Amino acid sequence: MGDANKTSRWKQLRSPSARYSLLTLLVIGFLAGITFWGSFNTVLEATNTLDFCISCHEMRDTVYQEYKQTIHYSNRTGVRATCPDCHVPKDWTHKMIRKVQASQEVWGKLTGSIDTPEKFEAKRLELAKHEWARMKASDSRECRNCHSFDGMNIEKQKTRASKMHKIAQDDKQTCIDCHKGIAHQKPKGMSEEDDE
Amino acid sequence: MKNKLLALAISGAFMALGSSAALAAPDWSKVPKKDIEVFHPGTAPIEWVTKKSDHSGSAGLKKGESCAGCHDEKGKLSLDLKRLAGKDMEPKGAPKTMNYPVTVQAAYDATNLYLRLTFKAPAGGADAADKENEVKAAVMFANDKVPMGEQAGCWATCHNDARTMPGADDKKTKYVKDGAMDLMQWRSAKGAKAIDGTVTDKRAMEGGKADVKAEGSKAGDTYTVTFTRKLAGGVVMAEGKSVPFGIAIHADHAVGRFHHVSLGYKLGIGADADVKAVKQ
Repeated sequence: MGDANKTSRWKQLRSPSARYSLLTLLVIGFLAGITFWGSFNTVLEATNTLDFCISCHEMRDTVYQEYKQTIHYSNRTGVRATCPDCHVPKDWTHKMIRKVQASQEVWGKLTGSIDTPEKFEAKRLELAKHEWARMKASDSRECRNCHSFDGMNIEKQKTRASKMHKIAQDDKQTCIDCHKGIAHQKPKGMSEEDDE
Repeated sequence: MKNKLLALAISGAFMALGSSAALAAPDWSKVPKKDIEVFHPGTAPIEWVTKKSDHSGSAGLKKGESCAGCHDEKGKLSLDLKRLAGKDMEPKGAPKTMNYPVTVQAAYDATNLYLRLTFKAPAGGADAADKENEVKAAVMFANDKVPMGEQAGCWATCHNDARTMPGADDKKTKYVKDGAMDLMQWRSAKGAKAIDGTVTDKRAMEGGKADVKAEGSKAGDTYTVTFTRKLAGGVVMAEGKSVPFGIAIHADHAVGRFHHVSLGYKLGIGADADVKAVKQ
């Protein structure tokens, strides 16, 4: 009996509608699509803001406080890079992959893996290494949303920056190879391997 | 009688030599001046300088770049002094004045190098442990065997296990891993002897071969220290060549790492370099 019911439901779904016109179905489908997509995107974007990131004390009390002291937060020109600008890809595919990975961070939140400053400090290097690996694998894609060697006039830089950027270009290095610990404290006591 | 005459003749010759040496001292008003900034380096020894996770510029050093090549911006220091003064890099507390200029002049003749430093030693040091000397001024020269001597100057001698570094053995002095450096120092205590020393596998404050003489004076708040040393010391200086050197000033009774140091520079003996010693 149950099986027969299921089969008829499935049949019904697969059969053309006798009740609604194609236009009605299209309009309903279109509106439902907009509603679904709109809500999905709204929620997605709501989780892609500095305010969302620091709504958890794990971020607010640690890395956020460090970031507030850096040039990416406050500078001469007033351009600010917030958490997602550096930590979430801009293009849709990579953004979705990152967001799916972020579900692990929700698990971390629920289990309280870094819910005290001590726990956070103990895991700082491990967490940093994950992010450095991600940035290195993408050729520092998020840095390059704003910074690029093409747009960089090394003649206008101070000698030390200009010389290092020349070396970086010659050796095909990427931003994160050198610019670790620029928006948050660098983990202490790193070995040379940790910096690779 | 003959012996007396001989002795007189010899002593006369020595006096003549002495006076000619005095005459050979340069007219400093005619010797070009070069300002070199010295700064408090915190706990940043050569191990820190060459470790990428501490100092991203280590990549430049690996390519043969010198410290001054990046951090001397047209005679002004270009480095993060705030970082050096912070608790991570200077746990004991940094001096109030992190950097100041030292005017350097150099001249030479057939025998000697003459080096003059003029500076205002700042008060507000972080560790006034030297009760005898308010100020000490030192210059080191590296021979060509010292690893990184050309690139890093005095940093080649500065290690994380040397005295006054955090957790280090108080008896372990500065050292180089190969080669040797000459060390000359003037001390402000009355009657203090000029130091003619060396740095090899340890630091020796005597026994150098450079026959160092040092005179210093204070006028107002400005110190003037003049060194005289043989060109042919432990580190041999030849006309037309240059030699790596660095300056360290211990101001306000400071000891050990609480000095202000220069980056490594080159002294040219009649040759173009960061500082050119002019012929007398």
